[in-house]
Amino acid sequence: MDTMSPLERVLRGIAITLVILFFMFPIFWIFLMSFQTNETILRVPPSIVFEPTIANYQALLTGRLETAAGTLEIRFMRNLFNSLFLSTASVALALVLGIPAAYAFARLKFRGSEEIAFTLLSFRFAPPLLVLLPLVIYFQQIGLANTYIGLIWVYQLICLPLILWIVRGYFEDIPADIEHAYRIAGHRWFTTFRKVALPLAGPGIAAAGLLAFIFAWNNFIFALVLASADKQPVTVGALAFVTASGIQFGQIAAAIVLSIAPVFALALYAQRYLVEGLSLGAVKG
Amino acid sequence: MYEREKDLVQAFVRGQMSRRSLIRRLGALGVTAGTAGILLNSSATRALAQDFDWQRHAGTTIRLLLNQHPYTDAMIANLDNFRELTGMDVTYDVFAEDVYFERVTAALAAGSSEYDAFMTGAYMTWTYGPAGWIEDLNQWINDPEKTGPQYNWEDMLEGVRKSCAWNGQPGAPLGTEDAYQWCIPWGYEQNNLSYNRRMFDEIGLDVPGNLDELIETAAKAKAGGDGIYGIGVRGSRSWATIHPGFLSGYANYGQQDLSMENGALSAAMNTDVSKEYHRKWVQMIKESGAPDWATHTWYQVGIDLGAGRSAMIYDADILGYFQNGGTAEAGNLAYAPFAANPEADAPTPNIWIWSLAMSRFSQRKDPAWYFIQWASGPEHTLFGARQMDLVNPVRQSVWDDPDFRQRLENSYPGYVEMHDVSAPGASIKFTPQPLFFDLTTEWAATLQRMVADEVPVDEGLDQLAESVNRQLADVGLR
Repeated sequence: MDTMSPLERVLRGIAITLVILFFMFPIFWIFLMSFQTNETILRVPPSIVFEPTIANYQALLTGRLETAAGTLEIRFMRNLFNSLFLSTASVALALVLGIPAAYAFARLKFRGSEEIAFTLLSFRFAPPLLVLLPLVIYFQQIGLANTYIGLIWVYQLICLPLILWIVRGYFEDIPADIEHAYRIAGHRWFTTFRKVALPLAGPGIAAAGLLAFIFAWNNFIFALVLASADKQPVTVGALAFVTASGIQFGQIAAAIVLSIAPVFALALYAQRYLVEGLSLGAVKG
Repeated sequence: MYEREKDLVQAFVRGQMSRRSLIRRLGALGVTAGTAGILLNSSATRALAQDFDWQRHAGTTIRLLLNQHPYTDAMIANLDNFRELTGMDVTYDVFAEDVYFERVTAALAAGSSEYDAFMTGAYMTWTYGPAGWIEDLNQWINDPEKTGPQYNWEDMLEGVRKSCAWNGQPGAPLGTEDAYQWCIPWGYEQNNLSYNRRMFDEIGLDVPGNLDELIETAAKAKAGGDGIYGIGVRGSRSWATIHPGFLSGYANYGQQDLSMENGALSAAMNTDVSKEYHRKWVQMIKESGAPDWATHTWYQVGIDLGAGRSAMIYDADILGYFQNGGTAEAGNLAYAPFAANPEADAPTPNIWIWSLAMSRFSQRKDPAWYFIQWASGPEHTLFGARQMDLVNPVRQSVWDDPDFRQRLENSYPGYVEMHDVSAPGASIKFTPQPLFFDLTTEWAATLQRMVADEVPVDEGLDQLAESVNRQLADVGLR
């Protein structure tokens, strides 16, 4: 039964609108900026009335940017591809490695299990530069410097602990009796893991994967230190629009719109799992 | 190249034709001025090969680490000529300036041999040099086997050349006889006035000639303009706030950051003259600076001038140069030399020098030197200055080039005179020492506190001097 009065409903509507406006305004403004030239963006006072242009998107897609100081070659689409590839591959690898490990830590109590789990988590504590400088030397020696494989390996520092620790919580939440019952029915442990544990922890795995993807996408320092310019993600590539001869605000805005689009789409698609998964893992019964 | 164009260019290289005639006659053959310049440079580059073995390292590939900058663009535009001249190949990584130095530091600190040469600022070599990360380039410059006779090292502007050389002893002057040449100047910035001539004419302002006039003019500009502020200077909590206009004016009063006595360094920014200078600077920012001055970096200072939000800037000349194209105020900007001290004979701008340095971990040092030699040589510098935005060039011969001067005169009113007047006094005014970035950033933070009225100028400077002295003592420099 709806007990809300009409006044309450109106006030609630206004409050929600205000909150949405407050949080969405920067994104909305960036979206508008992406269709403006630098000159209209910088005019005083700013205005939302302008003649839209797709030149910024055109520059990003074609890789050529006309500035006051001449033509600037930009590799934004390459950066976007790098982000997509690095994040997807890193999360995929982390899921392959992390889920069985999480299951083992949740179900099999063996000597040193807590220590190993904590060691993996501690990768997240170290300042990235402290880890990366020695890695530059090692990677050069073993031929992994400036390779996607090397980067995906280093990205495990972000993805693996996250997936391992979140998913471990979900496995622990699944009553072990269900799995025991399935085992008693004559199934091997791997079948039990595949047919019972994995589906039950599905929302949690999706949530952990999505979070790991967002963290990997936002990473800045790993590729900057370990890879050459052609393997940089969008987080580094977007800085190409900040030049000594000026800042290309329009292109930055267009780049932001393009670079948040994949994560935004993924988050929108998976938000149900995300909320469900996170809340499941948060409460222990 | 077609035969007729080739004959014309070769006639010019032999000195049988003026550049102007060449361009005109090439134009008649349907060749644009820009293409003519590249053709001409290609011929000049081939002429270089006549008295030096540029092909010694043919077949070698070197790798560069570069900052995204117009100087880099100029080099890339002319790189095929280097490849043709030397038979070498060049690959490069270009990173945006915001992350560039992190990348350089990471590569050098890790002892990576990936890059053979890289762009750097002269200040940075005060860290890289003593750390053993870069080579002293004197050993190549002074070796006639490795440096061609046309390189003409002495042609480099003296103040700029010496500013890239330091003997590694904290507090020692730059450019002494025993100094290591840690890097080779590529392009540089002086700090002077860039102003909006349209606004000045509308409000009826004269170009200020000293600090008092600057304060007065900035205040009048703010009062007379439509919602603008009078003077753009940097204000963020960074060493970069101190090094442009602020330090240039400071040095013009004969003031120093640090002083050296009996082999020990001491803070020198709390003298009476310095306090008076700081008081005036703070007054200027409060009265006529940007409302959000404390966040202003290179970018905000430049953008506001180009967008018509400020009447003038006291900052890098090339910052004003870049704003005179593709902005709302393009074509309205003009340039003037600036001596803050009314008793000074001439300006004494502190300078920023984009330079080329060689990694000590490079496996291809001689080939890397060939590249540095070519990129900082007279031919490429002239090409970059005439055809691209390699401004300010670091060679006197380029500043003497009538075509280059004419190009600047046509589009950048007052720029040539500004440079000519300021160049003799232009050099790095900081004292080289390993705590440079920390101490200078603290200086900027103190300036912010003074502008925000958190501390009086005198007291702030005394506190700063005390802190600087303590830090110098901590590392054994005092």
